[in-house]
Amino acid sequence: MGYLHRHRGLVPYLLLAPGLAWLAVFFIVPLGFLAYQSLQSGSFDFGYAFDWSFGNYWEAIDRYHEHLLRSLIYAGLATVIALAVSYPLVYWIAFRGGRWKNLFLLVIIAPFFVTYLIRTLAWQSILSDSGFVLDALRTVGIVEAGGRLLATPVAVVAGLTYNFLPFMALPLYVALEQIDARLLEAAQDLYASKVAAFLRVTLPLSLPGVFAGTLLTFIPAAGDFINAQLLGTPREHMIGNVIQSKFLELIDYPAAAALSFVLMAAIVALVAVYARSLGTEKLTG
Amino acid sequence: MSSHITAAVRHHALTAYALVAFGYLLLPIAVVIAFSFNDPVGRFNYTWQGFTLDNWRNWDAVPGLSESMILSLQIAALASVVATVLGTLIALALVRYGFRGRSATNLLVFLPMSTPEIVLGASLLALFLQLRIATGFVTIVIAHVMFIISYAVVTVKARLVGFDRHLEEAAADLGADEWTTFRKVTLPLIAPAILSALLLGFALSVDDFVITYFVSGAETTFPLFVWGSARVGAPPQVNVLGTAIFVLALAAALLNVVLQNRRAKGAQ
Amino acid sequence: MNRPFTRKQLLERAALGSAALTLPGFLAACGGGDDETAATTQAAKELADRLRVSNWQLYIDIDEKTKKRPTLEQFTKETGVAVDYFEDVNDNASYFGKIQRPLSQGQSIDRDIVVLTDNSRFPSLLIDKGWAEKLDKDALPNISNLQGSLASPSFDPDREYSLPWQSGMTGIATNTKLTGGKPVLTIDELLESPALKGKVTFLTEMADSMSLVMLANGDDPTKVDDTAFTKAIDRIQKAVDSGQIRQFTGNDYTGPLSKGDLAAAVSWSGDVVQLTLDNKDLQWNLPETGGDIWTDNMLIPKGGDAFTASTFMNFVYQPEIAAQIAAYINYVSPVKGAKEAMEKLDPDLAANPLIFPDDETLSKVVIFDAKALSNEDYIERWQALIGS
Repeated sequence: MGYLHRHRGLVPYLLLAPGLAWLAVFFIVPLGFLAYQSLQSGSFDFGYAFDWSFGNYWEAIDRYHEHLLRSLIYAGLATVIALAVSYPLVYWIAFRGGRWKNLFLLVIIAPFFVTYLIRTLAWQSILSDSGFVLDALRTVGIVEAGGRLLATPVAVVAGLTYNFLPFMALPLYVALEQIDARLLEAAQDLYASKVAAFLRVTLPLSLPGVFAGTLLTFIPAAGDFINAQLLGTPREHMIGNVIQSKFLELIDYPAAAALSFVLMAAIVALVAVYARSLGTEKLTG
Repeated sequence: MSSHITAAVRHHALTAYALVAFGYLLLPIAVVIAFSFNDPVGRFNYTWQGFTLDNWRNWDAVPGLSESMILSLQIAALASVVATVLGTLIALALVRYGFRGRSATNLLVFLPMSTPEIVLGASLLALFLQLRIATGFVTIVIAHVMFIISYAVVTVKARLVGFDRHLEEAAADLGADEWTTFRKVTLPLIAPAILSALLLGFALSVDDFVITYFVSGAETTFPLFVWGSARVGAPPQVNVLGTAIFVLALAAALLNVVLQNRRAKGAQ
Repeated sequence: MNRPFTRKQLLERAALGSAALTLPGFLAACGGGDDETAATTQAAKELADRLRVSNWQLYIDIDEKTKKRPTLEQFTKETGVAVDYFEDVNDNASYFGKIQRPLSQGQSIDRDIVVLTDNSRFPSLLIDKGWAEKLDKDALPNISNLQGSLASPSFDPDREYSLPWQSGMTGIATNTKLTGGKPVLTIDELLESPALKGKVTFLTEMADSMSLVMLANGDDPTKVDDTAFTKAIDRIQKAVDSGQIRQFTGNDYTGPLSKGDLAAAVSWSGDVVQLTLDNKDLQWNLPETGGDIWTDNMLIPKGGDAFTASTFMNFVYQPEIAAQIAAYINYVSPVKGAKEAMEKLDPDLAANPLIFPDDETLSKVVIFDAKALSNEDYIERWQALIGS
């Protein structure tokens, strides 16, 4: 562990203390309360009572596994597409951006200045059945004549991809930017083709960024509800919509809480599998 | 001869792609900007009626809108800085030290991101009520810092993992103590990651709606205002403000680049 | 349709109207000055220093030049009560989700008036849970100005806890460009006509969507029974499964409707009043079998000052003030006499049947059964239908 060896005992805890304390008070305590709620039963009208109601969890999985699966699939698709779209862009910024790099990063998060709702409504306008985008797609044949993109799974995934793109791009940038261009030069001096240099030098070095970006995109996207609501039909609704509905309309807090934990468990499980398959030592140091 | 052309094409292909990708990113913004110049008769801003500068001239005509934007920016600035600092510290600890509870900490970092905002917001509100903390600016900042920390940790970690420790060791060999090494070697090298975390945190905070709604008390942030006004039609001034902030930020970044260029030229 | 106004013209007229409504103007114009003076000179109860109101956004008149709200200014001038006006209700369920915790623990939410819609279960929930204060009827003589059709809703039959702020109607909006110039006037056409397939939306609000379908089935939405409910919901389900209904929306149908993505939408009258100003192809009609009327109600949450709140309600129930408010927000005013007062402000608005519906129109709209709105089983089945 290098030269910080003699303080090893105390230093990590000092570093962790402020952040973890914040999370402990303002996240873990509410989460504990949520867990408590998830084991209650009853109704809003007549009151809830804590009675170790693990049935809430079973019911959540039983009734909404379809929504859960759909959410994970949509989030997964959005993540993969976001990765494919951002990687070349971020590569360009990191290696060709020069002094303008920070400006380009700003452009990437620019859409967030106009709020989620306005962005998504703008897409609703752009992807309108009679807009020029759809006309172009119909001419090319990607969309059938008389077909539409809005209120389809495609629109929902496209919306998710767009809204979470910066979460993929920025961590990717962080990893790509630190790659010394001279390593690539060296590879080419050793007669590697550009492609081989990329595959053998750049890509592995950028993996921590890929890992980070994937997490920051997939995890929040799985719980999203806005895209499905505005850009999808009832068949595209995600687990986030169900949780909204349980909490707000049915005022069934135990069900909403149990569903939330089921979602979180699914996400954590997937992340663990993903991390293991990539080799955690390389990714977490 | 042809290999020159293919090389040129390949060289510029990436730039062409970058342009297309930026176009994709900015397409909705272009729509928003365009409709900030629209002159609708009714309250909704969907159909193009005609060009006008009135919305820009009367940018402050909607009561509460500009105040909400200023509030959002203040909260975002504060929350992103605090969260990035806390997150960077956690990232340093996680990547460079082995300690008890390392995997638990890793797990803890992922949990806030995976918790649906609506139940998190409601539970947080319950906590504030219990602790008798009045909801408002402070509670919004507290909540934002809470959910941004995770993003900061993950972002900075991505940089620290591939970090070349030899540079730090060289500094130590040359007699620098740990703090100086950290300040003069480590920090500058992870600066892009910290900046990225700041930007990400800022974006998250300025855009957050659900959690903010629960803990905002009597305050109204920009997203809260916009979501509320959408029922009767978001006024064009919403487009104006969003555009203005984006343009101002770009201008500031551009100015920064120009100054850097000047400094570099001056140093030559 | 009616002559379009620019937003500026609307506001100029509202401002002009309010200029005439100073205190002396009131007493002179009202004629029945007794009611007014009686309410404000009650020595027995004291008005609070501040009145705190939570309302929907852009739901009260605003003078865009001064950025002040004329009605509130006048109220303050007349009674000395300052108004803290919050526009933080953007959705009934979300707002309730926010206030239920402090209320359930007996804490005040620091509001004297909140405004909730009765096409949701939340007004009745607030009342049933005992979280609403009673109106101070002594301070509310103008309650007699309440429209007869709204006098006795099922969630508050004697209007002891609530008073309408504004109403709206639910009907069918048509983009006539996609229907060959003819508006869609029947639910049958909406749900079953193949020409409209995939170009129809319904509202996420159970009360609004189900009222229309139940009326088309010949059932009574004011007294919902299981058979009627099942019949209606099955009919809608069929339309969803076949792809006839494209989506269930809040008021985000407005964009697609304007752009021609939708041929017809179950929609709210107030929205379409605004949309038609920019798009002449759009039309709004009540279905032949009838529609529903919903009302945003003022309620006093526990801990609020009932006397001050009721004084405010009394103030806005004067026809001139009601007309002033309706002139800006363009929804249906619940106050009798507002139409006549509007004729002095803006005759075209007064003649607009979507803002001042005539008795025939009012006879064709119903208020959805409040008990059905709170029925957990119904709510679950409805939520399952719309995707969750």
